Amino acid sequence: MFKELDPILHSQLRLGVISLLISVKEAEFTYLKEETNSTAGNLSVQIQKLKEAGYIEIEKKFRDNYPHTICKITSAGIKAFEEYVKNIKQYLVK
Amino acid sequence: MTNSEADAGRHFTITKEFKKNKNMEDNNLQPEESLRLINGIINSAKNKLADDGFQFIFWGWLVIVCAMTHYISLKLNFEMGYMVWIILPPLGVIVSTIYGYKQGKKSNVKTYMDTYLGFLWGGFIIATIITLAFGFAHGIKATYFFLMILYGVATFITGGMLNFKPLIIGSLFSFALAGISVFLGNVDQFLCISAALLCSYVIPGHLLQSKFKQQAKNV
Repeated sequence: MFKELDPILHSQLRLGVISLLISVKEAEFTYLKEETNSTAGNLSVQIQKLKEAGYIEIEKKFRDNYPHTICKITSAGIKAFEEYVKNIKQYLVK
Repeated sequence: MTNSEADAGRHFTITKEFKKNKNMEDNNLQPEESLRLINGIINSAKNKLADDGFQFIFWGWLVIVCAMTHYISLKLNFEMGYMVWIILPPLGVIVSTIYGYKQGKKSNVKTYMDTYLGFLWGGFIIATIITLAFGFAHGIKATYFFLMILYGVATFITGGMLNFKPLIIGSLFSFALAGISVFLGNVDQFLCISAALLCSYVIPGHLLQSKFKQQAKNV
């Protein structure tokens, strides 16, 4: 029987963000926006959902008087991502 | 040196999947699409070149200039040649630090590679300072021998981490020249260390820089 895919990760933008964050130590909001070619508004909503799920940490800092939002994947996020990849492979092996 | 990845990353094409399905609604992914998206992003991050080669080129030429100036001054019986070591490297530290700081500020991503390279080169700097400060107790030959070994180790590991063969090959030259230096006289050590830097820093540094620029251009 197929396991249900994590609805938090089974979304293009959120999955993209998690995949980016799993490959780096931490990334600024601007980096995620550029790499995913998303709008600031949409990205903001999606990273908030990831944060609420406990998959990422968001830190807000100021640099030269400009706000910087830094995102980092959590261990729960890594675990969820690994589980998602494992489950998705079941669908492909059919 | 280690904070320049963002510049390259900014230009990478991992956004292909996003561009293709720009207006895709949430939870509308097919399993194949999900896997393709993940693979695309992770492979792209893995293949990114994390170094622009500036520090290799800068320090390579700086130390070569110092060594050759000292060498020529000794050949011309000018005794103050060693002064170049007191003037240029401290200036180099200032330039290098400012460059690193500016690159760090420009960067909007911090990778694991940045951290590992930072520790590697941090350890290298400490080892170099200790070698320069205390190595002379064992004589100029022993000091230069260890310096060349240190250059070799640092570039060998960096080459492996960046998957950049010219650095690995350059480091082997540095190891070989360290061995050769033992059979040379004190004055000829300067020629040996210049050759080691040319092979392990300058040439790979320029190749790294051109690959980095090419990578940024290909976006």
